[in-house]
Amino acid sequence: MSIKIEEKLYTLRYKRDDQPHLIIANHQVCLKCESTYGVPQPCVSICPADVYSWDENKIVVAYENCVECGACKIACPYNNIIWKFPRYGQGVSFRYG
Amino acid sequence: MGNLPEFDVVVVGAGPAGSAAALSAAKAGAKVLVIERGPEPGAKNVSGARVRLNTVKKVFDIASVQIERKVVNERFLFVSQGRKVSIDIQTKPDILATVSRLKFDGSLARQAENAGALIVTKTTALGLERQNSEEISVVTDRGNVTAKSVVLAEGANALISMSLGIRPEFSQDEAVEVAKEVYLLNKDEVNKRFGLPDDYSGTSWEILIDSPIPAMGFLYTYRDSVAIGVGATIRSLVSVKMKPYILLEEFKKAINFGELVKGGSLREYSAKIIPEGGYPEWSICREGIYLVGDAAGLVNALVLDGIGPAIVSGALAGKAAVEGYGCERYEQELAKLPEIHSVAVSRPVIKTMLSDTSNLALYAKLIPDIFDAWSANDLSSLSYIKGKLPDLLKLGLNLLRVIS
Repeated sequence: MSIKIEEKLYTLRYKRDDQPHLIIANHQVCLKCESTYGVPQPCVSICPADVYSWDENKIVVAYENCVECGACKIACPYNNIIWKFPRYGQGVSFRYG
Repeated sequence: MGNLPEFDVVVVGAGPAGSAAALSAAKAGAKVLVIERGPEPGAKNVSGARVRLNTVKKVFDIASVQIERKVVNERFLFVSQGRKVSIDIQTKPDILATVSRLKFDGSLARQAENAGALIVTKTTALGLERQNSEEISVVTDRGNVTAKSVVLAEGANALISMSLGIRPEFSQDEAVEVAKEVYLLNKDEVNKRFGLPDDYSGTSWEILIDSPIPAMGFLYTYRDSVAIGVGATIRSLVSVKMKPYILLEEFKKAINFGELVKGGSLREYSAKIIPEGGYPEWSICREGIYLVGDAAGLVNALVLDGIGPAIVSGALAGKAAVEGYGCERYEQELAKLPEIHSVAVSRPVIKTMLSDTSNLALYAKLIPDIFDAWSANDLSSLSYIKGKLPDLLKLGLNLLRVIS
């Protein structure tokens, strides 16, 4: 029995930072990425929490799902993701880790 | 003007490396502040996790370190094309232990606190600015604080270290992405299913698979739960567009994990990047700023130990920060630590294994193939190894360097 990603993420505790901690620097670059790498793009496929999705020629960032691993920053071929950590202890927190 | 820095040492991150640094600096009499971005130490941290108690003991009082179970059985599992070869080793207790990070990291942080370090949680360090030769300003989301020296124990995704250019970003071959799950299962069931004599004895499995992509995984027993995880380099995942959690689902199927935790429930999902590159290839220091642990890429992928190198490097950096070591001296002293020396000499082995995923696939396949060839009395079926001999030889030579 496979477990869906929604169920996996549902096990986590999150406190949402109102200010997104992940920002696409330049959306034009994502169009170039799509034509070079196709879909899903590297950020979409590497993210373990489905933070990134491709919606009508635009990368949508559901940063509130982020488990803060940092893989997308490494996977993005254009260094186009501005990565910060959530502020004030917000974001994900683990019980076991 | 003329004001002294507010702290002798500011440590960024209250994981094992940060707490070790804070403990050693505080013990040396320094005024120490630890800045932790999570709601409590360990809350942002993910790993297998398994530690070598002798290494932990070098820095921390082991009596109050929280562990899950002591490993009495170590299993190496090779899975290829539906075949499994399992090698079981009875290990002496008191060598390896499984830990869950919130409890483990919390117990280390408390020792640093008891030694006099001040830990501030829910605070994210954003950057460092050198004020003058005596003072570094640490910028946080709650304002600035000044220190004589700074230890960056900020983990693998070391945003400050990278933004300052002290160390480079990871290449896609230098970082492994791991997805992990923890399943609740009562103690008696854990004991029964894994053949454990009591609630304090545990098992730890290291698993190599060649499908759906070559990957390395683990299964560890906690007190009342079972942890499972699998990782592959970011390059290998991205090149086939495979989601880390899809790899995890396929991995669980390949080792029949469902049966092992039948009746248990998924308690937590997590993910992490594991550094496979770093010191000594990187410089990990700059004028009063010392990198430690994952931030310095100090993971021993051969013996699967990140927490050990984190702790010993942290303790050294704490001392270096108090005594004001120059970078050359810090890196020289670091190289002398056995755990760090071992990281440095293992790196060529890991590079050989990870640079070409067909190598990793070969290792997963080779052992079941040997047993198949033996049972069929058809050793000639192993002749394909000939073409791989240069790679195997290279691996063998690199391994020799590790043990010599």
